[in-house]
Order: sequence, then C-alpha cells, then structure tokens
Amino acid sequence: MKKLIAAFGLALFITGCNATTPDKPASKQAQYEAALKNAQAAVDKAASVGGEWRDIRWKKSKKKYLPSAIEAAKAGDYDKALKLLDIVQFQAEAGYKQAMAQKNAGPRF
Amino acid sequence: MKKMLTLLLSAGLVATATQAMSSPKEDLAHFRTYFEQRFPGIQLNEFGNGPYALDASKRLQWESMEEFPPYEEYVDKGREIWETPFKNGKSFASCFGKDASKVRPKYPHWDKASSKVVTLEGDINKCLKANGEKPFGWKKGKIAHLGAFLGYEARGQKTNVVVPNDPKALQAYEDGKHFFYAKRGQLNMACADCHVYYAGQRIRGNVLSAALGHTTHFPVYRAKWAKKGKGDGLGTLHRRYGGCNKQVRARPFKAQGKEYRNLEFFHTYMSNGLEINAPGYRE
Amino acid sequence: MTKLTQRLGKTATALALCTGLVFSAQASADDIAAGKEIAFSRTKGNCLACHHIEGGKVAGTIAPPLVAMKARFPDKAKLRAQIWDSTVANPNSIMPPMGRHRILSEKEIDLVTDFIYSL
Repeated sequence: MKKLIAAFGLALFITGCNATTPDKPASKQAQYEAALKNAQAAVDKAASVGGEWRDIRWKKSKKKYLPSAIEAAKAGDYDKALKLLDIVQFQAEAGYKQAMAQKNAGPRF
Repeated sequence: MKKMLTLLLSAGLVATATQAMSSPKEDLAHFRTYFEQRFPGIQLNEFGNGPYALDASKRLQWESMEEFPPYEEYVDKGREIWETPFKNGKSFASCFGKDASKVRPKYPHWDKASSKVVTLEGDINKCLKANGEKPFGWKKGKIAHLGAFLGYEARGQKTNVVVPNDPKALQAYEDGKHFFYAKRGQLNMACADCHVYYAGQRIRGNVLSAALGHTTHFPVYRAKWAKKGKGDGLGTLHRRYGGCNKQVRARPFKAQGKEYRNLEFFHTYMSNGLEINAPGYRE
Repeated sequence: MTKLTQRLGKTATALALCTGLVFSAQASADDIAAGKEIAFSRTKGNCLACHHIEGGKVAGTIAPPLVAMKARFPDKAKLRAQIWDSTVANPNSIMPPMGRHRILSEKEIDLVTDFIYSL
C-alpha cells in the first residue's frame, strides 16, 4: 500500500514536472545530473564490497563508461551521457549483487 | 524437483559453512589431495612448473626455452641492485641480512605489530624508504629484478608460510581464501574456476595451470610481458593478479593493497612444501 | 527497474518465439552467419575459448563441444536460456552469463542461439 502511494506520488511528481518544464535541454541536464548521482552511488556501493567491474572507471579500461558519460555531458551530448550512465548503473548493481551472492564462496572439494 | 533443489541447496550451504570453519592445515590437505587425485603420477614439486607439468607438448617448448633462459640477465641485474650501496652507504643487506638465499623463503608472513601480511615487495620498498631512497614501482622493473635474484638464490628451498593462530591472521587468510573462490567481474569467474576446477584444460590455445605451485616461480618472465610496451618480460605476483582480474572484467585491485596481500598469503600457503623455483619462464 | 527490464525482456522473447513459430521454424542463413561472427569474436561471445565448434580454430577444451545441438536441446528456448545465464542450471558454472551480465545484447543472443542451434 505504502509503495502504491509512493509510486502514485512519484507519477504525479513526474507528470507535474513535465507539465511545468517541457522537454528542453535544461531538463535533460537535470535528468543527467540525477542519473549521475545515482550511478555514482551505485558504483561506490559495488566498490565497497570489492564488486566493481573493469569498464566502469578503471583508468586502463578502454571503455571507462563513467568518465565517458561525464565527458559526453560536458560536450552537451546528454543522450549519449544518459545511455552510458545506464550501463554504469547496471554494471554497478550487478557487481554488487554478484559480490553478495558470492559471500559464502569456498572450495567445493 | 523443487524439494531436491532445496535439499541440494541446503547441503551446499552446510558444506560452505563447514568449509569456512576449516583450519588452514585442513584446507591445505584438501587442496593438495584434490590435485594429486586429479593429476595422478605428477610429483608434488612438478606443480611448480605450471602448465608444463600438465601438458606434454608445451613442456617440450618450455624445456628448450630453459636451456638459455631469458630471465638470466635480470637475475644478474637483481644481483647488482642487491649489491649496490645506497647513497647512505648501506645496502639491502642492512634490512634483509647478508645471506641473499635466506630472504625469499620468509615471505609472505604475518606481521603481528602492524596486523598485516608483509610481502617481499613491501619490505623491499620499506627498506628503500628507510634509507632515504626512492621506492621502486610495484609490478615490474627493478622490484622484479631484485625479486628474481632473491628467488634464484633461494631455489630448492621449500615454501613454508605460517598462518599463526591469531584471529587477525586467520581473518587475513580467510579473506584471501574467499577472494580465491569468489566469482567476480562481468565474466563471473573465480580464480578457482580456471586454476582448480579446469586446471590442465585448454582455454583457446593456453593450458590452464594448477593453483598448486602457482606462487613458487614468481617473479616470472612472461613472453607476453616482453612484448613492446609491456616491459622487459619480468613481473611480480601482484601484477599477474591484476591481469587475471582484468581478464574476467573485474576492476583490478592495487598491487600490494590489502586484497592482493591477503590473497598472496592464502595462495602461497597452499603451495607449502613445494620448492621455490623463481624466476620461472611462462608463455 | 531491472525487474521491469527483465519482464520486458521475457515478453520480447515470448513474442519473438511466437513470431518465429508463425513465420518460420528456421533461422535465416544471414542470421546464422551473423550469429557465427558473434560467437567466434574474442570480444563478443568468444565461445571458442571453451567450446569446440566446427569451423573454429584453436578451440578450448573446458566445455563440451557444440555438436548435435537440436538433439541436446529439443527446445530452442532452453538453449537460449542456457546462453543467457548458465548459472540458473548450475550455480557453479564457469560459463559467463551472457545475458544476465549483458555481455551480449538480447539481439546478439538471439543470433548466437540461431547459430548454435544450427550446429
């Protein structure tokens, strides 16, 4: 029930926002900033349990999704930035989940 | 079906629970028995030769390489580093003792005062700093040359890591053990997946080495590391750890950071009783 | 969010399967060729790292050779599921969960499935 209310509220909030600020570059920027914050938190969480994957931000990675997203945003390409942050978010969450699932890993012989 | 699954799962949980409680000594016995049964007829020390112990055709190539080993010049460089005095007139012997053959077998070890696993590389740089010298890089170059010399001098002596009965030391060992068996990275692979369960098998054209005997031949000369832009071929154990983690698409940890030091502690302990044969040659 | 994407993914698969049944039971030669390329690429499927596959060079020996797939997987969806995440069937599997960890895209997995199923 609580969830439902929250979801309803969120929906209202989103439609409300959309109503007041139509899809201008400024709102893309806000979307990016929120996504970046979320992604960074997810990466920190994965790293805190040793579950960070290679291509998120490691300096020798050829992909470096997170720094690339920030770069794209700086160049004004928020669509690209958001796409990359999607990957970061997914990889960070998957890395965290993996580390949790492997908590009791040990020999099988 | 569902019942069976639950049963299997709970059996698995019980198994992991008991494993978590097994002592390092028991772990070592199980580990060794596993490889002895998997590769009957291979002498314990032979595992120190990695894939060349397990694959006849690769062994022939390796034996011909060993006739004029490419690492020899780096052993000589390491000897020079060992003998060259610091600016203050002292040398590495002031930290490690005069007998170069007695250094390598002491590492890694648990240091009670700092509650840390201490590695040879860690002590090399500690010695440099204490004498007002600039520390070496952790993964290749001088640190690997000196390590190669100290390993060469210690050849034939047995790996003998001690895990003291101290809760913190045991925790460091357990952490290293967990690191070894936990799947990581986008490819979802554990060290053990390749080097325990599929040791001796080929991954593409490469033969997977057994984890038993892994640590005896480090620092190692790898042909892969002698290619342009990679260095002179020589590298430390932590350099290799980083490479393995990278291959399974996990973010490598820092060389000489806690994760790899604890892994080295467990990993080397698993090779107790095997002769040091550093530096080794690998593809 | 991930649940939603998963559900969407499942619906997509179901839809794809249905349309597959309606239009043709066989993947096109182009799809199979595209799937082969992904399967053999070292940075994509890299199936040869562990599996012997006809036409592939220097294959690994870690996993079973990929032959007679239709006999081994009468249900093509099961084969796809195995490629998508082999740890469902065996949590200890060394095989990377191609779909669950998004090593390949859903479309790429479809193509690889087409190719493997043709073996």
